[in-house]
Amino acid sequence: MIRLQNIEKVYRTDTIQTLALNSINLEVEKGEFLSIMGPSGCGKSTLLNIIGLLDMPSKGSISIDEQATHKFSDKKLAQFRNKKLGFIFQSYHLINDLQVLDNVELPLLYRDSTAKERKQLATEALEKVGLSNRIKHFPSQLSGGQRQRVAIARAIVGRPEIILADEPTGNLDSAMGNEIMEILLQLNRNEGTTIVMVTHDENMAQKTHRLVRLFDGSQVQ
Amino acid sequence: MLKHLFKMIWNKKKQNSLLIVEILLSFMVIFAVFSFGLNSYSNYAKPMGIDYEHVWAINYNNTLETKNADSLKLFYQGLVRNIKAMPQVLDASITSANIPFSNSHMSTGIKYKGEQISQINNFWVDENYPHTLNLKLLAGRWYNKADHVPGQQIIVINNVLKERLFGNADAIGKIFGNYDDKNKIKIIGVVDNIKFDGDYQAPAKAMYALYDTSAYHWLSKILVKVSPDADAAFESRLYKFMANSLKNSNIEIEHLSNKLTAYNKFTLVPLIILSIVAAFLIINVALGIFGVLWYNINKRRGEIGLRRAVGASGNSVSYQLVNEAMILATLSLIIGSFFAVQFPLLNVFDLPSSVYVIAMLLSIIFIYILVLVCSLYPGKQAAAIYPAVALHEE
Amino acid sequence: MLKNYFKIAIAVLRRRKFFTFISLFGISFTLTLLLVMTAFIDKVINDNYPDKKRDRSLYISKIELRGKESMNASALTYYYINHYIAKMKMPVKVAISSGYGSTNTYVNNRKIVINYKYTNADFWEVLDFDFIEGKPISKQQTDNAERVTVISEDMKKEYFGDDKSSAVGKYIEADNIKYKVCGVVKSLPITSYILYSDIYLPITTSKTKLEADKGYMGNYGAIVLAKNMDDVPKMKKEYADIVAKLPIPGKEWDHVYSHADSYIEGYVRTGSETSSGMVYALTAISLFALFVMLLPTLNLVNVNITRIMERSSEIGVRKAFGASSKTLAYQFIVENLILTFLGGMIGVVLSVVVMYFINDAQFIANLNLSLNFTVLCYAFLTCIFFGLLSGVYPAWRMSKLNIVTALKAQ
Repeated sequence: MIRLQNIEKVYRTDTIQTLALNSINLEVEKGEFLSIMGPSGCGKSTLLNIIGLLDMPSKGSISIDEQATHKFSDKKLAQFRNKKLGFIFQSYHLINDLQVLDNVELPLLYRDSTAKERKQLATEALEKVGLSNRIKHFPSQLSGGQRQRVAIARAIVGRPEIILADEPTGNLDSAMGNEIMEILLQLNRNEGTTIVMVTHDENMAQKTHRLVRLFDGSQVQ
Repeated sequence: MLKHLFKMIWNKKKQNSLLIVEILLSFMVIFAVFSFGLNSYSNYAKPMGIDYEHVWAINYNNTLETKNADSLKLFYQGLVRNIKAMPQVLDASITSANIPFSNSHMSTGIKYKGEQISQINNFWVDENYPHTLNLKLLAGRWYNKADHVPGQQIIVINNVLKERLFGNADAIGKIFGNYDDKNKIKIIGVVDNIKFDGDYQAPAKAMYALYDTSAYHWLSKILVKVSPDADAAFESRLYKFMANSLKNSNIEIEHLSNKLTAYNKFTLVPLIILSIVAAFLIINVALGIFGVLWYNINKRRGEIGLRRAVGASGNSVSYQLVNEAMILATLSLIIGSFFAVQFPLLNVFDLPSSVYVIAMLLSIIFIYILVLVCSLYPGKQAAAIYPAVALHEE
Repeated sequence: MLKNYFKIAIAVLRRRKFFTFISLFGISFTLTLLLVMTAFIDKVINDNYPDKKRDRSLYISKIELRGKESMNASALTYYYINHYIAKMKMPVKVAISSGYGSTNTYVNNRKIVINYKYTNADFWEVLDFDFIEGKPISKQQTDNAERVTVISEDMKKEYFGDDKSSAVGKYIEADNIKYKVCGVVKSLPITSYILYSDIYLPITTSKTKLEADKGYMGNYGAIVLAKNMDDVPKMKKEYADIVAKLPIPGKEWDHVYSHADSYIEGYVRTGSETSSGMVYALTAISLFALFVMLLPTLNLVNVNITRIMERSSEIGVRKAFGASSKTLAYQFIVENLILTFLGGMIGVVLSVVVMYFINDAQFIANLNLSLNFTVLCYAFLTCIFFGLLSGVYPAWRMSKLNIVTALKAQ
């Protein structure tokens, strides 16, 4: 499903070069739930961004669903992300000016859909995360766990094949974190969604199919 | 500290460049308004040079059939004599159409010491002109009856032209050439400057030539000085007298004071419009600067909190922010002054350099005050940030 | 999609009320200034009272002689109009009038300044003055050089006082001659200087002999009326041919110029053949408009960029979920346009208020500014222009924002 070959990422400033990722080779199967672990600054978020096509590697190639992505134009990339990928962030990144329902509808805005379809799909997604009674709320009126559930609903509303989660439980206490993790596991089990998750939490990582450890930009396991 | 602030501004040059351009443009707008306003004011402060109250201008057109210069002369001199004989008339003078505060201008050029001096207002007058307008003679003499001899090449000039030609030296008796340098003309008198383009325009170079009798068929104005008690009833008598004397002519009597008011509008209306527009632009810019600074402070809460944590007092933080804004203003003003200085250097629009310099200084002060006012409140807000809270948010 | 943009735009506006105030203030005041200016220009050049047949009329008001070192431009002589223009084949009517001159009259020891204008009989047929009382000067009255006059409503009030009785049949004295009033018309503002006057007199009562001056340079102008709009270009051509064949009246000249202009061409003709009045007027107006718009635009750009940076998380999320840079730029421009139109609406209301005050103060007599369809169209166009101008750069900055940094920023 996802194939990374010899990925290298170098950050350059005027004076310093930092090697954030060093010859990463990684393959993720369809339906797999993969977690990435490692200490702060080891490059795990960078790796996730590269998989999510939010960032470009300095070297190496990624193909997703047998498609080489490095030649994609900005527009093609955007479409590709829209159809295939769903994102969950540590700090939720909900749009505070929009109600829950509008937040969830967001990915559907960037593809052909009618308002009615959008509403229906978004409501379904919110039902899956157990928030159908909160659709008219603004993000600021929700707790952290509820916000992250909205973010998950947003990630799954477009039925992506892959979900990329960057420390989805990082800002939550363990009870809420487990709740979120449960939703992700269910998603993986019931819908066969491929999930790549970056985490700090060993317990969470243990619940996934496979664990990849990074240290100083290199894959150690 | 200053170096530290410069560093901060330099590292954020991209965000700051727009603000600098905005302040720069506001400076140019203010500079333009101040230059215009100051110039108008400095002209307004100068004396008018004449008494225009109770001076009327009679417009007529010569409709006499005769082409004979002598009989024209006899007729018009008689006309002026009759006007002067009226009880409320103090003096009267026939002149060319370019009386003070009229839209009519006549200009010519002269040659002096090989130099061509152009755009000199040329007035055709008679011996009664200075007394009618109470125009002061500064040196030499005005024309008298004896000057009405054909071929006399003499002239009276105003003080502006005298200073342009001779500086502080005496002008009486000096000789210059007319526009094609064929005739040599001797200066017999220097008169005070008249602001003939109204209160707000600087007096220009002018010379007053005595017309000869052949001019009567194209002269079209009579200036009449009347006593303060001359009313509409008298004006109507004067009108009837003119209409009866010059049958078939269109007669109109205007008051110089009204003409002045009307003429001043040419300067005042653009100045007022410009000021309104500028005021609105400046309010706009002030709000903008205020908003951006305010926002920047909110965005930099972390930084400010850190500064507080490492020992900066609330005052020094607000000081720093005000100083940053002032440094931005200084950068804009340096660029702005570079442009503004070109105006006096290249002598654009022909205004005196002093006007530009004062306008520039005033604009600089104005911009500093504006930026100071706009940054005070945000600065104060910054001082109120609690380090613990700000750092926690980060 | 648009609905979503609208929602977000309103939400953003409500969140940072101070910034919203700055933006709306800038937009609405700029628009007010531009609208008042547009209304003024529109009134001055598009108000077709009393020349309602403007689209089939041409105005011939100036002639210019040019030599190597000298040039002389002026209105036309009656002789010239009679011999060259009146003999043209295309016009169905030729209105002749003098430039306005002024004179005084004294009523009960009160001085009144009267602007007068001599007109021929066709003048009253080419132009459609609104007669409040009486009727125009007839052909017969003109031919007989009867001392009759059509006066403006303002002049009636000034000369005869506020009394309601009709002025027709009364006498008005101007230039020491008594004229019998035969009609009262609605007054014109002085800005329509081609037709403005306080009293209109038959051309035959002029004090100078009409055909005495056989040169070109005089004090008269003509309006030639074509049968229909299609004939106007032909009429223009006919006059150009006449001018091309004009004998040049002296050795010091080598060219003679005169044009049959449409109203606007004629209005802005500066009297100099070398510099086009149209270009001059347009440059002046656009420079002023640009000057007025530059700073507020810059201000808006500044505020917009600040706002965008504030929304970096939103931008990052949108990009991550499949918005392309173009879509995002488009979204922001639409948002900015919504803001601009909101400001525009306030601007329209403000300009109505300002115009009311200007009209009320009567800065220029009889010049009543109003918002009409044309002015509103200009307002609409200005809004679009303004919105695009101030939105494009921030939108570009926004779309170029790197997703990773945008998401990190919060």
